[in-house]
Amino acid sequence: MNDDVRATVDAVWRLESARIVAALMRLLHDVGLAEEIAQDALLAALEQWPDNGIPDNPGAWLTTIAKRRAVDHIRRARRFEELAPRLAVDALEEQPDDVLRLMFIACHPALAPRTRAALTLRMVAGLSPAEIARAFLTTEPVIQQSIAAAKSTLAEVHARFELPPPDELAGRLSSVLEVLYLIFNEGYAATAGDDLLRPELTREALRLARVLAELAPHEAEAHGLVALMEIQASRSAARTGPDGAPVRLHEQNRGLWDQLLIRRGFTAMLRARELGGTPGAYVLQAAIAVCHAQARTAEDTDWAQIATLYELLERLLPTPVVRLNRAVAVSFARDPAEALELVEPLLADPALRDFHLLPSVRADLLLRLGRIAEARLEFGRAADLAANAAERAFLMKKAGEAGPGEPTLGEVAEAFLARDDLGAATLRSYRQTMVRLRRSLGDRLPLGELTADRVARAFAVAWGDAAPATWNRHVAAARTFAAWIGRSEAASGLSRKDTTRAEKAAREVVWHSESVPLRERTLWTLIEESGAPIQAVLSLGVEDLDLADRRARAGRRWVTWRSGTARLLPQLLAGRTRGPVFLADRRPVPSRPLAEADRCPETGRRRLSYERAEYLCKRITGHTLRRLKDPPNGQH
Amino acid sequence: MRFLMTSMAADDQPDEQLYAEMAKFIEEMTAKGVLLATGGLAPEGVVLTSVGDELTVTDGPFAESREAVGGFALVEVGSKAEAIELGRRFRRIVGDGKSVIQQVYGP
Repeated sequence: MNDDVRATVDAVWRLESARIVAALMRLLHDVGLAEEIAQDALLAALEQWPDNGIPDNPGAWLTTIAKRRAVDHIRRARRFEELAPRLAVDALEEQPDDVLRLMFIACHPALAPRTRAALTLRMVAGLSPAEIARAFLTTEPVIQQSIAAAKSTLAEVHARFELPPPDELAGRLSSVLEVLYLIFNEGYAATAGDDLLRPELTREALRLARVLAELAPHEAEAHGLVALMEIQASRSAARTGPDGAPVRLHEQNRGLWDQLLIRRGFTAMLRARELGGTPGAYVLQAAIAVCHAQARTAEDTDWAQIATLYELLERLLPTPVVRLNRAVAVSFARDPAEALELVEPLLADPALRDFHLLPSVRADLLLRLGRIAEARLEFGRAADLAANAAERAFLMKKAGEAGPGEPTLGEVAEAFLARDDLGAATLRSYRQTMVRLRRSLGDRLPLGELTADRVARAFAVAWGDAAPATWNRHVAAARTFAAWIGRSEAASGLSRKDTTRAEKAAREVVWHSESVPLRERTLWTLIEESGAPIQAVLSLGVEDLDLADRRARAGRRWVTWRSGTARLLPQLLAGRTRGPVFLADRRPVPSRPLAEADRCPETGRRRLSYERAEYLCKRITGHTLRRLKDPPNGQH
Repeated sequence: MRFLMTSMAADDQPDEQLYAEMAKFIEEMTAKGVLLATGGLAPEGVVLTSVGDELTVTDGPFAESREAVGGFALVEVGSKAEAIELGRRFRRIVGDGKSVIQQVYGP
């Protein structure tokens, strides 16, 4: 085929596919089908354009073909009679916010974030599965499979092609923003040697975010995300040195920052500010980026302002990385001692145990406080954890020479593992323990510093969340090691855990705690005990319930339950005799028509939506509703 | 990839319909996130010529206005074909004339 035509078809597709797929969704209300027919239209272009020439208006041509095929499909499926009225009224007429609806569907909360990202790139950005696979460093079948699974999930939860109701809008929007930022970072994290498609993700995410901000102009967070991305992207030329090594923000050549993108970032930020309201997480992060962009030199940076912004951000987003960044800002705005106090609690956070920036930041602070020996140790530990060779070299240089004389943890551990009086399996198990201990404490730790306190803290960070059996295995290994080096007291802070009680207790806490609202407790218990599809459980009406027989009819199937649900249900119903079993917290907006069955005739409240139920479950338990149905390791 | 499209100034004055269509096009491309910057250029200009140590400054306007750039658009797209497709749409609106598309090196 003529390469020019192929390139033109691809170009038109990238520009128009979101609109075309959205138009098809409006007609078909089926993600899988809309995608399939869109692909048909693309194929038709590839077949016909080389012979007939590229049409005058290629976008319109593709849209027309796609719609015609969709209507053909509906006719064939004999659903025309039923769909005809809708076709005539609005289905053929595209709406300006169709692409926004498409984004909401692709970023549906029933899907995992990475699946949402893949689906968004497929349906909204028009990337092929092969391109998505390359960008995400995986294989095409994996992406195809995850997209197919996503489509069936969307069908199962009856995801609708519509804008979320006002009370769900903020939550759904943040789900879209999260996905766009995930795509952006996937590209931004890529290094110079990587496939070029990965950095392309940054551009694609930025483009989608700009589209989103135009479609949702009254959402400050959407503009905040655009501002954040524009300013971060503005630094892309400055963030790696000629040798490919990362250059930190305060060492970057600010002359390489793209002023056009910075100004676009400022404009987006202004739009976010004009909308007012309490700033959200993206607006705050953008405001921090703005502070950096406004400083002519690193020394001019308004650290006091940045420290304040991080403090606000930490309240919304209390992640370890945000806390660490806040500490850095505080160290420049006020003093390193105060910053060090903020960093100390992070040492106990398992999420940061392999994160080289934590010891690296700590080392910097210790150095500035004149605690040279400790700083050296931390620089060394940071170097051991750094994955990037250039970064490691930089940290090693800072670490300087290791303290002379006294044997270090690294040396002694090597000798311990070189023993020839132990079986291979035992040695393998000991090695796991030692690898983790050395990473936590640093190979250069002088043996004299191996205190019970340090070991206990390292254990809590490394295996605090592990199953008791795992914990006990590592404790045994540490005790053997401590005895071998003649310092048994080093392991004296460790005690074995009871293997049965702890696990059960952890599960019970979330479930049956009185602090969890009755509706949630009932819903989760019912899902767990019945194993029924979540949509089926949510669709139950009070009149469907057979409390005596512990079962209810949901469509063609029975939902059955056990004693837990049986205890909770009567409390939840509180004498209601009709309407949905699970009700939303609020009354519906009067303008939205509602099916009679979806509203409680007594209170006027509507049925609890899947999205809301999922959101609450994630917020309280940290996992999805489906996890309740199929817990990992078959715990029931 | 960034591309700069420069368009030669047209002889005839644009009418109101053209203005409206252009405004709509610009708005659409901005909303799609591809148009980074655009603008029209004044016909008069200043030419700086340097030869060795000598710098000559000449004020416009100039005789060969047909070849003078009348406007520009900076776009960010995934491929040259996409830039050409955008240029095609632009030319369909403005009618007879000439535009040049060049890739901008860098980010």
